[in-house]
Amino acid sequence: MTTTKPRTLPLSKRGLNFEMLMWIFTRLSALAMYALILIAIIGALIMGARTQMNMADVLRWGFMPNSSHVQSTNVPDLAPWASPFWKVTAGLLLFVAVAHGVHGLVVISDDYIVSARGRNIARIISIIMVISFSLMGLYIIWTS
Amino acid sequence: MQVTLKIFRYNPEVDKTFHYETYTLEAEETDRILDLLEKVKGYHDGALSFRRSCAHGVCGSDAMRINGRNMLACKALVRDVGNRITVEPLLGLKVVKDLIVDMEPFFDNYKKILPYFINDSPLPADGRERLQSPEQRARFDETTKCILCAACTTSCPSFWASDQYYGPAALVTAHRFIFDSRDEAAAERMHIIAETDGLARCHTAYNCTLACPREIPITKAIGELKMATITGKVE
Repeated sequence: MTTTKPRTLPLSKRGLNFEMLMWIFTRLSALAMYALILIAIIGALIMGARTQMNMADVLRWGFMPNSSHVQSTNVPDLAPWASPFWKVTAGLLLFVAVAHGVHGLVVISDDYIVSARGRNIARIISIIMVISFSLMGLYIIWTS
Repeated sequence: MQVTLKIFRYNPEVDKTFHYETYTLEAEETDRILDLLEKVKGYHDGALSFRRSCAHGVCGSDAMRINGRNMLACKALVRDVGNRITVEPLLGLKVVKDLIVDMEPFFDNYKKILPYFINDSPLPADGRERLQSPEQRARFDETTKCILCAACTTSCPSFWASDQYYGPAALVTAHRFIFDSRDEAAAERMHIIAETDGLARCHTAYNCTLACPREIPITKAIGELKMATITGKVE
């Protein structure tokens, strides 16, 4: 008789620790960034970017949909570009990008820092960076 | 045909640093690089040091860098690498002498993933074998082929950066046991390979897959382990 025991590990036994969760987050956040940038570009085209902005300005908006990024274009009214929807979209993009990028730095630092203490320090610094960059970015997004 | 063989040399008792020595040898294009090294050791310099054992691609002793790529010297033929050949020790491990590297960090990492069959259940009623179907056996067939030559692990940039990283060979062995339907320590191994120096340090460079002399799809196996942490499916 062959073994017929179920071979699916329960969630608690898959080794899903912080390290692996961040590994998964890094993959998903990259996809999320693509999605958010696409939403911003489609939104810009709907709001009239095709006739009021050049490609460079559209991309600038796409990578960070903040109304200050369309001030120097031919857009007549900034109000639709500064709606709460775009602020939330920009905030999400900011958080995802900062967390993705800073985690990438942590992964690189792990190549050079091998002591447990050193790695803990690198992780504490990375958390401070994520929080401070996100707060600064959110302040700019929400006040512009 | 004549071949030029440039060999990495380092004798810790004499040399402050490494150097290369070049030999011109008569060779057939079907000669193996191991044959050339034996010729140098036998007829030119008996002090040349390298590991070899079975000389038929099974024991994994003679992995080294040949023209910049990790290969087994007993499997690489002159016709495959050309007549200007550079032979160097594996990267990422300390050179002991000439082409011999200290394999301890490699085996230390290998031991971390519990590289042995674990099943504490009572024996089947007939008291003999724990059977599995051909499909269950096929699930981990490719990762049983590992010969622990370290060609994969020492081709990995993550391992070059830190020998604390378990490395592809250890993860391949983890795959071999985790996906074995008879083994009962999958959860334990999953926790071990999820540590900081485990799975997450594989950045899918694919060097390991290219380096493996047994043609094990190593990156795919590591990918399956990553998926198993998400889905929990180990069958």
